[in-house]
This record gives sequence, C-alpha cells and structure tokens, in this order.
Amino acid sequence: MNTVLSRANSLFAFSLSVMAALTFGCFVTTAFKDRRVPVDIHVSKVMLKNVDDFTGPRERSDLGFITFDILADLEPIFDWNVKQLFLYLSAEYATKSNSLNQVVLWDRIILRGDNTKLNLRDMKSKYFFFDDGNGLRANKNITMTLSWNVVPNAGILPLVAGSGHVSLPFPEQYETTKSY
Amino acid sequence: MLSVFKNIPTHMDYKGQKLAEQIFQGIILISAVIGFVYGLIIQQFGWTVYIVLAGFAVSCLLTLPPWPMYRRNPLPWQPVAPEASGEPTPKPQDNTKRKKHK
Repeated sequence: MNTVLSRANSLFAFSLSVMAALTFGCFVTTAFKDRRVPVDIHVSKVMLKNVDDFTGPRERSDLGFITFDILADLEPIFDWNVKQLFLYLSAEYATKSNSLNQVVLWDRIILRGDNTKLNLRDMKSKYFFFDDGNGLRANKNITMTLSWNVVPNAGILPLVAGSGHVSLPFPEQYETTKSY
Repeated sequence: MLSVFKNIPTHMDYKGQKLAEQIFQGIILISAVIGFVYGLIIQQFGWTVYIVLAGFAVSCLLTLPPWPMYRRNPLPWQPVAPEASGEPTPKPQDNTKRKKHK
C-alpha cells in the first residue's frame, strides 16, 4: 500500500543510508593520513621538591615543577574529519622500580576553528609531576613529549605522538632550581 | 477531525509510484555526490550534511504530495456490472485499454 507515510518512510530510510555511506566516505578519505607534525618543546626551568605524598604510603616522594615553552603549527592535522584535538604533554622516564613511567603534565583541547598556531611561553604544568618514589632526583633522562588524540567525525580515534621531544637531566638536590 | 485528514487525496497510480521513487532516489544521490565533492573541497563535512538535507527537503516536496504528474495513468476500472442473475461474468466493453499486469 503506497501512502504518504510509506513514501516518507522510504525517502527517510534512503536518505539515512546515503548519509551513512557519505560518512564512511569521509572516513576513508582521511584514514591513511599522517597526522604527525613537528613540535618544538623547550624546558626552561626545573624545580625539584621532596614532599609528603598523602595518596600513597607515608613516605616522601619526589615532586617536580617544570616551566616549558611549546611551539607547534597544528594546521596540517585539521581536515574535514577532525572535530578537535586533545593535546597532552607527558614525561617519560625510567626508575629503579619501573622501567617506564609516564606522567601527564599538561593538556589542552583545540577545537576546530581555534587558533592552530601553538606558541606557549613559560607555561606551568597543570598536573602534579609526582613520582611514586624518589626516582626524579638526579634522573639523567626525562623525556617530554607532546602527543595528541585526534577526535574525528567518523572512524578511528588516532593517538599521535608529535615528532620532536626534549630529554633533560633533573637536578641533583632538592629545593634547587635548574635552568636550561 | 480525522475525517478531514482522510479526505486529503494521497493516491498515486502505479506508474506514478515508480516515477516518484526514481525521482527521490535521483535527487538524493545527486545531492549526495554534490555535497561530498563540495565538502571535500572546502574540507567541511557539515556542508555535505546540509546539502544532503536540502536534497531530502526538495524530494519531500516533489514526491510526497500526489502531484498531477503521478496520476496520469489511472487504472481502467471495469464498468459497474448490472445486477443480473443470469450472467455471472459480464464482459467489459473495451479490452484495448486494460492495463497489463506486471
């Protein structure tokens, strides 16, 4: 029986199927894109403290404070399948107890249409750089990396590490400031 | 109240139904191709969606109401047979216009 409602139903279903196919096409056109861009990270100051870590066992843990600059142009990442970027700066280092420690120090969401030129000077970290022991003092190799999640309209949610990271040694004593 | 809606004519003949379906599929597919290419060029998927929605609206307007172009081939009904007891199957007057069954 062909009525207005049955015609409207088939029209709506057909439009929805076509829209789904288009969304898949949007995903296919961007699925194999390289979303890495060069990032210039510079850490200008590091301060190290040894404080009570109230979340863990009642021992004093290492707490780092860093001041950093980030310079990056994220324009090439954005295309028609990107809604926003979730940037985060993480520190990676090895200690005696763990071969890999990863701490997120700072993050930022960049929406589509926002300024994609990242030029940050003398930024403080947003989150505490706590080690779970005393692994930060005199650590020779702490690597800062800027990575990002690409939030798409459709498809996979890639996790990309920016090319360009900085490795630095941490101070030998507590309560001292080290400039780079 | 409901009888008001029931009196709105919605009928299409069979060829009109086929034509309506072909028209809305064509419009939506064309708008989808245009929207995809345009969205790909300006790198805005939102415009693709808007263009497909525009095609949807146009095809709603064109194929939902029973416009006269969908009613050009009405079925040739047989004339009302007279209530005759002797003849169980009266022959129709003209067989030439009878619609072929699909």
